[in-house]
Amino acid sequence: MRALLSISLRSALNRRGTLMLVVLSIALATALLLSLERLRTDIRSSFSQAVSGTDLVVGARTGPVQLMLYAVFRVGGATNNISMDSVRAIAQHRAVAWVVPLSLGDSHRGHPVLGSSTDYFKHFAYGDKQPLVLAQGRPFAATLDGLYEAVIGAEVAQSLGYGLGQRITLSHGLAPSVGGDLASEHADKPFTVVGILARTGTPVDRTVHVSLQAIEAIHLDWAGGAPLPGMRIAPEFARKFDLEPKQVTAALVGLKSRAAVFNVQRFVANYEAEPLLAVLPGVALDELWAAVGLGEKALLAISALVALVSLASLVAVVLAGLNERRRELAVLRAVGAGPRHVLLLLAAEGALVTLAGALLGAAAAAAAVLAAGPWVQERFGISLAASAPTAAQWGLFAAVLCAGMLASLVPGWRAYRMSLADGLSPRT
Amino acid sequence: MLTLKNIRYAWPGADHDTLVLDELHIPAGRTVFMHGPSGCGKSTLLGLMAGVLLAQSGSASFLGREWRSLAGGARDARRADHVGVIFQQFNLLPYLSVLDNVMLPCRFSALRAGRCAGGTAAAARSLLQRVGLPQTLWQRRADALSVGQQQRVAAARALIGQPELVIADEPTSSLDAARRDDFMQLLLGECAAGSSTLVFVSHDERLAARFDQRLSLPELNRAQQAA
Repeated sequence: MRALLSISLRSALNRRGTLMLVVLSIALATALLLSLERLRTDIRSSFSQAVSGTDLVVGARTGPVQLMLYAVFRVGGATNNISMDSVRAIAQHRAVAWVVPLSLGDSHRGHPVLGSSTDYFKHFAYGDKQPLVLAQGRPFAATLDGLYEAVIGAEVAQSLGYGLGQRITLSHGLAPSVGGDLASEHADKPFTVVGILARTGTPVDRTVHVSLQAIEAIHLDWAGGAPLPGMRIAPEFARKFDLEPKQVTAALVGLKSRAAVFNVQRFVANYEAEPLLAVLPGVALDELWAAVGLGEKALLAISALVALVSLASLVAVVLAGLNERRRELAVLRAVGAGPRHVLLLLAAEGALVTLAGALLGAAAAAAAVLAAGPWVQERFGISLAASAPTAAQWGLFAAVLCAGMLASLVPGWRAYRMSLADGLSPRT
Repeated sequence: MLTLKNIRYAWPGADHDTLVLDELHIPAGRTVFMHGPSGCGKSTLLGLMAGVLLAQSGSASFLGREWRSLAGGARDARRADHVGVIFQQFNLLPYLSVLDNVMLPCRFSALRAGRCAGGTAAAARSLLQRVGLPQTLWQRRADALSVGQQQRVAAARALIGQPELVIADEPTSSLDAARRDDFMQLLLGECAAGSSTLVFVSHDERLAARFDQRLSLPELNRAQQAA
């Protein structure tokens, strides 16, 4: 009844001081639930979008999840390298169409540095088989003349404010150089930015790309992760050395036909010269999700508990105030409201408070995504989409509303009984 | 119009009857002063008259229909359509404006809304004028008014849509002498204008003179006499 709804609304507004705390706690619970769900979906889609069109990822025999994490997502470190000979052997397999070797281990101001061949720009794809596109400039040449050339991702350019022609130096290791730790800097061999990639929403954005030869060049006078004392090779002289890479971290493999994927995987696993591992990206990701699934469920359960607690407090607040409202209910009885109208009135009040809290929480979750999105993108390469709510989010929102309406029936029922017992003359 | 016969009523869980009544008949249009001290069963009787309570035995018929013959929802609807109630105090919903409070019965009863010439809001305004409430107060929250003003608004609320029966449960007990006289004049005048039956319950016998009929509840209520 419209009359009842309007009376409910006014009644709830009248007690908005007390109810505001309840609204806030429901908002918090809703925001938690919705944000978690958004994070879960976006992390999954970010990861699965990070690489496409690649049939196998090959690396040292670690584990599928770890290999994916360091080779594709540039997170964590490799335990071992693989030799370039093995990569060539794989490239020669009759089912293999292309191989892109990857060399990781250096960084620039916290961003990972990737050494690869020019094939990287030809074969690497992400999302829906989208290739890499240069927003400015060109790919590095990987020739001796253009040895110290770098192509940076969109996030690197934006957060560090780099443009074409910027001179940068790389650091050894993955940790950001804190307080200018020059000892681990390849300071004597600066690079020039020749290209900036368009934004992809993947870890490519925060990567600095150089050629494999350049990686060799900057490590010529290094051994075991530190510069050799007394031995300094100037940048120009480095060109005179043999800069073909002997070892790489991993390799991306594309096949001529998808049907051959298990054959090639077995070939790599049985490769005698070196312990290798080839993983299908999709399979590795599924393993990853299975591993984190338990943690996600725990977080979801905690958020659900928060929601329950806030709804319980709603019920408690309304119940506590019912005694004072006996006269109010008698007035309603007098003008013709029946006990079931009284039940509806109280239930509607609770439902309105829940709705207000849920809407506030949804807005807060959306705002949090907008606010934290750029930071998360920068640090982890995960793009939080400020897009329309997913079906799962709608489901959670609806669940909070339904739970609130059900919970409101408790004070509604109490008011019903009181109203029946009191009639026109409440004993207060 | 209102007939009660052989009524026995006991509150749930009570070991003896609160109200035992042989016969009470009130014809339409009459103003009745019901007198009795506190605790003699006044509220119970009013509840039975308005169909809020159902007697364990006996018949209570209002406008030719037994209250008992109707289901709970139907009783509430009938009460909304034909009965106006004024309490001793706290008559209004504090979070609604004065005007909204007066219009409240019409939101629950289409019949009464239909009887309002020119619409519910217009009828409410005209009633508020007749009870002498200044226009500046009409949009104020109900709890911002003084007790005397609130009681006048309560009268307006009970009278909107010309209900056939108006029940007043000690409406002047919280008013001072001057206000009381004004209120009595107002109430009786409006009931006469709308041809409503008025059942006025009070312990103040000085008011009895203004009414058509005077009843003493302790005399009527045999449960009281037995105790």
